[in-house]
Amino acid sequence: MSLLGHELRLLVRQRLTMVALALLTCLTVAALAAGMAEVARQRAAIAAIPAAQAEDIGAVAAWIDAKKDAGSAAYYSFYPTWDAPAPLAFAALGMRDVSPYILRIRALGLEAQIWDGDTFNPELALPGRFDFAFVLVFLAPLFVIALFHDLRSGEREAGRERMLDALPGGRGLWRRRAGLRLALLCAALAVPFTAAAAMEGVGLGTILAVLVVIVAYLLFWVAVAALVGRLRWSSVANAATLAATWLVLVLIVPTLANVAVNAALPVHQGAEIAMAQREAVNRAWDIPREQTMRRFYARHPEWADSAPLGFAFHYKWYLAFHQNGDESVAPRVRAYRAGLEDRDAAGRALGWVLPSVGVQALLTRLARTDLAAQLAYQDRIRAFHRRLRAFYYGYLFRDRSFAKADFARAPRYEDVPSG
Amino acid sequence: MSAATLIARDELRLLRRNRVAVIATMLLVLLTLVAVATSWAHQRGIADLRDRQQHGAETAFKAQPNRHPHRVVHYGTFIFRPLGPLAAFDPGVDAYTGSSMFLEGHRQNSANFGDVRQSSLLVRFGQLTPAFVLQIVAPLLLIFLGYGALARERERGTLRLLMLQGVSRRSLVGGKLLALGTVALVAGLPAMIGFVAIARQPGALALPMLITAVGYFAYLAWWTVAILLVSATVRRSRDALLALLALVALWAVTTVLLPRVVPGVASAAVPLRNRLQTDVAIARDLRQMGDSHNPADPHFAAFRQSVLDRYGVDRVEDLPVNYKGVVGLEGERLTSSLFARYTSESYAAQEGQIALVDAAGILSPTIAVRALSMAAAGTDFAGHRRFLDQAEAYRYALVQRLNRMQAVHVSYADDAAEDAGADRRKRVSATNWSAMPDFSFARASGSDLARGALPGLAIVLGWLTAATLLLALATRRLGARR
Repeated sequence: MSLLGHELRLLVRQRLTMVALALLTCLTVAALAAGMAEVARQRAAIAAIPAAQAEDIGAVAAWIDAKKDAGSAAYYSFYPTWDAPAPLAFAALGMRDVSPYILRIRALGLEAQIWDGDTFNPELALPGRFDFAFVLVFLAPLFVIALFHDLRSGEREAGRERMLDALPGGRGLWRRRAGLRLALLCAALAVPFTAAAAMEGVGLGTILAVLVVIVAYLLFWVAVAALVGRLRWSSVANAATLAATWLVLVLIVPTLANVAVNAALPVHQGAEIAMAQREAVNRAWDIPREQTMRRFYARHPEWADSAPLGFAFHYKWYLAFHQNGDESVAPRVRAYRAGLEDRDAAGRALGWVLPSVGVQALLTRLARTDLAAQLAYQDRIRAFHRRLRAFYYGYLFRDRSFAKADFARAPRYEDVPSG
Repeated sequence: MSAATLIARDELRLLRRNRVAVIATMLLVLLTLVAVATSWAHQRGIADLRDRQQHGAETAFKAQPNRHPHRVVHYGTFIFRPLGPLAAFDPGVDAYTGSSMFLEGHRQNSANFGDVRQSSLLVRFGQLTPAFVLQIVAPLLLIFLGYGALARERERGTLRLLMLQGVSRRSLVGGKLLALGTVALVAGLPAMIGFVAIARQPGALALPMLITAVGYFAYLAWWTVAILLVSATVRRSRDALLALLALVALWAVTTVLLPRVVPGVASAAVPLRNRLQTDVAIARDLRQMGDSHNPADPHFAAFRQSVLDRYGVDRVEDLPVNYKGVVGLEGERLTSSLFARYTSESYAAQEGQIALVDAAGILSPTIAVRALSMAAAGTDFAGHRRFLDQAEAYRYALVQRLNRMQAVHVSYADDAAEDAGADRRKRVSATNWSAMPDFSFARASGSDLARGALPGLAIVLGWLTAATLLLALATRRLGARR
């Protein structure tokens, strides 16, 4: 124990090391604070939904009540959906800055609504977010390099290496020094993170998982530094080699792989879904209405006993062709989604050989801010939209009138509680 | 041959003998060539795809059968943002903004299907473009090759030796500068080859390209000077090592850390209203301005009276035009005026955020060169806004043209009828659709792009000037005893 204490005293005297550790702690705290502020902003935006929604739907209800028309209610009522950030989201914001986490939908064709985005500033999103994941994946390795590049070579250049090796327990010395540096680096990241995670109410299992990721990722870089150190080059050569390795592993290979993945796995442009759906929907005005209804009833026999259409416009026909339009592009939607998942899987697969990508993938998965979380949110929107349709169909296909009180009977979106 | 050139030659010979330096430079050249090739292919692919989709959308619009004009208002049209030639050099925000937009009546839709939501998580590590290589990778190579230029001479004691032999400080630093500057030129050259290829494309504009070239030249020159400055000023037992660590730290802060920290600060400082709140606010304002659903609404009651007065009739049935179309015109005018108000608020907020980021160019030349590069390529927010503004103008003109068509070509009686043949009578001839003008994006002029890039260029040149002055100062004290 006292040996370790001596090493610690030696380390404290190295100004560069202490400055580096203090800097890493500051960066970690700043990144955690930035992430927590962003998540708080997102939560506040979600918390502001009910008031806005009550005002909006109240105004719609006021004039619909005069007509008692369920079709107009379905057409003019928008319902909010949202994707609350998971407790760990502050640590890895992932796609939450470019994908919507609030989306209002109505009972019309969903494919014309579900791909809409929210307002965000593209120039701010372009460089990527400053969050804990960034500090860990991009910056922490640089600090490992700063503290480990001259672990042995520094002593060699000072002419002490042979003497230190000759001491009894010489091997233990290097292990102690490396362990101490690694522990301090880990602490600079893990202590602020754990405090922030506790404040955000992250589950113990998740915190432990992140701590394991931190230690494992830093260990990888310590191992790289040790490998380079075995070449017995000068400290300067070690530092340059390690920085170059960092550049290649963290910046160049991922960008090259991105080009390769997008070229190897072409995704049919989503715009084609929107165009095909709109073509299918609008065609309904130009074909016999019975044709639309036959197709709709064939797929949804539960409404087939509804009264036949007259000459006048009826919203059940309108909503039926919107649903037909959605169903006509369902295979395209499946293919598009499969394409996105393939690309995502390819990116994650790279994470098995490239720790930088692997850590990013793991953190965004644990934080539920990755593509899978986005798609899960879309699934929740789809499920809610089905309930919304069924609700309005219950009035339209049964020719029941829709009064002010019926607005309160509409299904409510419920976000899944995520832990 | 002057002393400076001799020293430069010597330094370059040393670099040539350094196998690691040669390999690193070759790798950078290779990386740039790959970036140029893939970025070029990507840009061509996107441009072709959008062109094809745009044609498809126009053909579909024109192939519509006889339709009621209001159906066409809802059928709408799709437009795609075309890319300028310089987007192959710096695609900027293209992947982050949607590239396609659905234009219809009563609604202002977002641009959707940006690449960032269609790619794997790798896209957030950065995109391999010539701009990325020059902004981020090339400086690190220069650091590796240049950190020791002066620090090494001092560490080994050769600095004093050179000075004793009568080499002036100026020619010593000048020679090293010349050598590292040559490396910087070699590093920047492959990107310039891509540049020449782009310049031969139709639509390439000379002025923005010139500014981009000057900007990157000044940026790499700044790094060259800064590296020598650090290499000249470190004074510790292990000069070269300290110079390297200081420079890598400087690089990490300017190219990696600050470009990420500053946008976070900007987005916290200037909040944006989200879509849901905007839509609810627009609906609220619309109710206050005039609610076309409400028969007793004062605005529309007054509007109706003014239309009746204008034509000198008492009932809407007696109007020579279809009142439904006239109301459509008025309704669209109201909603569009609100869209204009709220989008300009949102754009102003976003531009405020960007102004904060641009001001941070004072802290990091990388931020400044990035702003200048995107602005000159027309791939910054201003370029996207240019598209959005034109899209909205086109949408409004198209919808109002259709509303006028409904007012003039569909009779009020037919429009209100619900008998068996009414649907056929309400429709106007399909020949009208092909007479509609297509959307054509008016690109920014060269001088507009250049003007957008000038602030960034000024900041980069300011950095270069400051670093050069400091280097001149450090040169005078080079080799002095502490």
